[in-house]
Amino acid sequence: MRRFGLFILAAAAALGQQRNFVSCPIVRDTKTVPCFLAEYEGETYYLGIQQDITADFHPPQLKHEVLVEGRVKPGPRVCGGIPLQPVSISVLKEVNLACNTLLPPEPGIEAPPAPRGPGPSSRRPEGGPQAGSAPRQPLTGRQEFTVLYAFNDDYLEYAANQVVTEAAAYAKRIGASNVKVSGYRATSLLSNGDRLVEKAGLAEKRAQNIATVLRGLGVSRLVVESKSDAEPGDGQTDPSRRRVTIVVTP
Amino acid sequence: MRRLFVIVILIAGIVLTLSAQYQDRFKNTWIEPGSGVTLPEFDAFDSVDGTVGVLNASGPVSTEGNPFFTALGTNGRACVNCHQPTYGMSVSTSGLVERWRTTEGKDPVFAAFDGSNCPGLPQDQEKSHSLLLKRGLFRIPLSWPPKNADGSPKPVEFTIEVVRDPTGCNTSPQYGLKSADPTISVYRRPRPAANLKYVTSGGRPIVLKTGMLADLDPETGNPVGMNLMTDAREPSLKTQAVSAIMGHEQAHEAPSRQQIEKIVEFESQVYVAQQAHIFGGPLAVAGGPPALGVAALRDRKAGVLGDNDYDPVFGLFTAWKGNDYYRASVARGADIFMFRQFWLRDATHINSIGLGNPLKRTCATCHNAQMTGQDLSAGWVDVGTTNYPTWTDPSTESSELPVFKITCNRDADPHPYLGRVIYTTDPGRALISGRCVDVGSIVMQQLRGLSARAPYFANGSAKTLREVVDFYDRRFDMKLTDQEKEDLINFLGAL
Ligand code: HEC
Ligand code: HEC
Repeated sequence: MRRFGLFILAAAAALGQQRNFVSCPIVRDTKTVPCFLAEYEGETYYLGIQQDITADFHPPQLKHEVLVEGRVKPGPRVCGGIPLQPVSISVLKEVNLACNTLLPPEPGIEAPPAPRGPGPSSRRPEGGPQAGSAPRQPLTGRQEFTVLYAFNDDYLEYAANQVVTEAAAYAKRIGASNVKVSGYRATSLLSNGDRLVEKAGLAEKRAQNIATVLRGLGVSRLVVESKSDAEPGDGQTDPSRRRVTIVVTP
Repeated sequence: MRRLFVIVILIAGIVLTLSAQYQDRFKNTWIEPGSGVTLPEFDAFDSVDGTVGVLNASGPVSTEGNPFFTALGTNGRACVNCHQPTYGMSVSTSGLVERWRTTEGKDPVFAAFDGSNCPGLPQDQEKSHSLLLKRGLFRIPLSWPPKNADGSPKPVEFTIEVVRDPTGCNTSPQYGLKSADPTISVYRRPRPAANLKYVTSGGRPIVLKTGMLADLDPETGNPVGMNLMTDAREPSLKTQAVSAIMGHEQAHEAPSRQQIEKIVEFESQVYVAQQAHIFGGPLAVAGGPPALGVAALRDRKAGVLGDNDYDPVFGLFTAWKGNDYYRASVARGADIFMFRQFWLRDATHINSIGLGNPLKRTCATCHNAQMTGQDLSAGWVDVGTTNYPTWTDPSTESSELPVFKITCNRDADPHPYLGRVIYTTDPGRALISGRCVDVGSIVMQQLRGLSARAPYFANGSAKTLREVVDFYDRRFDMKLTDQEKEDLINFLGAL
C-alpha cells in the first residue's frame, strides 16, 4: 500500500513536470542562432535552437501555433526560458498570422552552443566511423522499426526517412518472409485537461505512405494495416504513439 | 577648326565601324536551324558586361544534321532557337527583340503555338508576342489535372480558377481550362541547356522535401534529382528532349532513339559561364577563384554540397580579396552570397521542412550545390516570385501574366504561409504534384552565364541582376547597402 502511494506520488510529480500545451512560438534572436521559446500560463519555456535538418530538434514556425509536449528539465534557464527536455514539437497546419513574435538579441541572453551557426557549415564530412566507437552489431532476427510523426502530420522527416531506409535495407538483406506495416494515430492530453485527437484517416494514410516508400525501395511481401481509432493519451508518452511500426520477420 | 572637323570624322568613323562590327557579330551568332555552322571547341560572345564562354568539351561540333540544330517538327524550330550559345544556351529578351526586328517577326522562335501569348491571336502583331518580347516568356501548356505516365488523371488537392487572363489563353474555349483538353497555360523562361551534369545529378530514393519517393528515370529505373524544368516534370534529359520536340517543335511523329541520343550527347558536353568582364578582364585565371569560367565547370565534380565555409558553392575568392576594384568587389559579393545572414522567412520547402521559420541563414542555404548554386535536394521552393502578394509583379488587376485562384480541399494540408486560398501567376510544382503545399514552388535555376540571359526568375520578373538583388532585399528585408548590392551584382554577373 505504501509502495502504491509512493508510486502515485512519483507519477504525480512526473505529471507535474510535464508541460503539454498549444501556443504561438516566440523566436529570440541572439548573437549566434535564434532560440525558440513558447509561453504557457505566464511562464516562458525554452524549446531549442535553430539547427540543421539532420538534428533531433526541429524548431517551430512563425505563422503557426505549435503543440509542445515536454518535460521540465531542472537547472538554469536557457535563453530566458525554462528548458523542456525531452520535448516534442508539432507545427499545427493551419496558418495563424497572430504568431509573429521575433525578439531582438538582448545582452545576457545567449543561445547554447550550436553545432552549426547561422552561416554555412564548418563541419567537414566525417571520414568513416570514428575511432573508438564500437562497430554496430548487425541486426538479426525479427526486428521492429518505429517511424514517429508530428501531430496530425504524415511528413516523413529526415530521421524518419533514415528509419524507413534502414528497415528496407534490412528486409532486403535477410530476404524477409513478411514485412508488416501498421499505422496509428494518437491523442494528446494537454496539461489543461483538453484532448487533441489526430484526424480520422491519418493512420491509414501514414501506413500507406510508408508501404509505398518501402515498395519503392524494393521491399516485397508487405502486409499493411492500420488502426482507425485514435490511441488514448496519457499526457506523458503521447508523441511515441503517433507512429508507424515496421515489423520485419525473417 | 579643321582639327575639330578631323576629330569629329574620326569619332564618327570609329562609331560606325564598331556598330557594324557589333551587327556583324550579332548576325553571325544567332544560329538558325539547319545553318550547318561548326561550333568551335571554345567560343566567347558579348554579354551585357563582358563575354560569356561556351565550351564544347568533346571538341568542335558540326551542327550539320545534328538534331539539336535541326528542325524536327512542323514549325521550323530546333532546340537552338531557344537555346542559343550567344545567350548562354538560353535566350535573352534583347536577343528576341533584335530577332523580331531583323526577321519582321518571322523567325520560328515566334511560332504561334508557344512563341505568342496564345495561338489564336493575330500573329503578325507585336502585342500578340508581348510576353516573349517583354519578358522572354514562352507559353507552357500543361494538362489539368496532371496525368500519370499511363494517362490516368492524378488525384489533386485543390481546384483552380482563372481570375485574370490577359493573354486570353486560359479562358479560350480552344486552349483553355474549359476546353476539350483542359489546359493551364503558364509563361516561363527557357532554362539554360548547358552544364547539365550538375543539373541532373543527385538522385536519391526519397525526396527530403516531401518524404516521398523520387521520380524514376524511365530508362534506368534509378531515382532522379528532380531539378529539371521549373516544376521538375521531366525525369531525364531524354524525356525532356522528346517533350520539347513534340511540344515546342510541334512534331507529329516521335523522334527516333538516335536523334534523342544525339541531342543528349550534345547538351551534356556543352558548358557555359561568364568568361571575362569589360573592366575586370579574364575571370578564369591561374591562381584566381577556382570555379569561374567554363573549364572549371567541365572539370569539377557534380552533386557536391557547397553550403560550407571550406569549399563553398562557387569556391573561395581569397585570391581576389584586396585586389583591383572589380575583383575585390566580386570577392565581397561571393562572401555576401555565402555569409551575409538574413532571416529566411515563409519560404515553403525551406522553412517548412524542419529548419524552422524564420531561419537565420544565407543565400547558400537554398542555392547550396557547388558550381551551379541549385539545390542539391529536389529544388522547388516558394521564394515569393509567383504567389500573391508577390514581391515581383503588380497587383492581380494589372498583372501581365494570368492569375489563378487556388482553393485547397478541406482535408489537404494548406500552403504553409498562405493558407487555403492562394492567388498565383504560376502554381509551379503544384501543377505536377497536385498538392496544395506546392503552390508557387519553383525549381531554382542554375546561376551560371547569368549576364548573357536576362531577364531572371522563371517568369522573367527581374529584368536585370540589380532587380534580382532588389527583390531579395525587399523579400527578406536584408537591408543591403548600395555597396553590398553592387558587390552581389558583380559576383552574380561573374558566374
Ligand atoms: C520554343 C522555345 C524552346 C525550344 C524550341 C526548346 N526549348 Fe528547351 N526550354 C524552353 C523553356 C521555356 C524551358 C523551361 C520550361 C519550364 O521550366 O517549364 C526549357 C527548358 C529546357 C531544359 C531544362 C533545363 C533545366 O535546367 O531545367 C532543357 C535541358 C532543354 N530545355 C533542352 C531543350 C532541347 C533538347 C530542345 C530541343 C529538342 C529544346 N529545349 C527546345 C524553351 C525551348
Ligand atoms: C528561400 C530560398 C532562397 C534563398 C534564400 C535565395 N534564393 Fe535565389 N532562388 C530561389 C528560387 C526558388 C529561385 C527560382 C525562383 C523563380 O524562378 O521564380 C531563385 C532564383 C534565383 C536567381 C535567378 C536565376 C535565373 O536564372 O533566373 C538568382 C540570380 C538568385 N536566385 C540569387 C540569389 C541570391 C543572390 C540570394 C541571396 C541574396 C538568393 N538567391 C537567396 C531560392 C532562394
